[in-house]
Amino acid sequence: MFDDIKRFETGAPQQLDWFRQLLDGFLNDGDAMDIRAVPRGSFPMINVARSDDAVRVYVFAAGLSPSDLTIDVQDNVLTLRGRRDTLPNSDEDGNARPVFRRERASGEFVRAIALPDGLDAERAEARHAHGVFEIVLPKREELKPRRIEVKAA
Amino acid sequence: MSNIVRSSNHSPLQQRDQEKRSQDALLPAVDIFEESDVLKLVADMPGVTHESLKVEIDNNVLSLEGDIVLNMPEGLSALHAEVRGQRFARRFNLSHEIDSDAITATIVNGVLTLTLPKKDSHRTRRIEVQAA
Repeated sequence: MFDDIKRFETGAPQQLDWFRQLLDGFLNDGDAMDIRAVPRGSFPMINVARSDDAVRVYVFAAGLSPSDLTIDVQDNVLTLRGRRDTLPNSDEDGNARPVFRRERASGEFVRAIALPDGLDAERAEARHAHGVFEIVLPKREELKPRRIEVKAA
Repeated sequence: MSNIVRSSNHSPLQQRDQEKRSQDALLPAVDIFEESDVLKLVADMPGVTHESLKVEIDNNVLSLEGDIVLNMPEGLSALHAEVRGQRFARRFNLSHEIDSDAITATIVNGVLTLTLPKKDSHRTRRIEVQAA
């Protein structure tokens, strides 16, 4: 589903990210960006989707167990906090080891994302499976879509 | 433990199909480090399950592929998307000292850990310097 939206363009595939950032530095076209926008590849990545009765937030946080992530909602801002442990620099015997790539984010992180208005944070729920957290924030009753029947005159 | 498939006779058609599929895939972030008798590769593939993960070795090319499995209800419309794709894929050339028959893979909470043992003949040997 997140494949086919073009409205919230977040950029080229990840491989081109450094190149894109370089170009952006030279060719700043002055486009306004969201105040809470983050560079691509920030950890954890977040998708937000809306249905008729709720807003669902998907947090792609590989390697975190449910107790590693704190989720707060205040004034329509969702804040995610947690930490992911760094892989040790040495093996079990304490010998330092060569590292060829270290791309995975580690350490503490905090991310905040603005939510649409009219959500009922009291009834929010969160689930976790395979490194993805799903946070369901139901809309307040009075904001759900309602069908209006036309009465006969 | 995931099954590791070994194959070497891809038809050209299959290869073209693979190339096309690899374009829309996300590149998982990886850590790679070396210990005395193994190389270890750790890859972030959130949403990939044991069943949707495929680890293949073909002609010394290691390929990791996994579909993102999300349990989403019908009728959602996206408001904001940082993850824009349904799958992760990444390939690595293996060097000849890796014992490709002994590679093992596990995936826990969306983190894939591959252990790539070196062949016996390539393990680290410490060489003592003798006094003259």
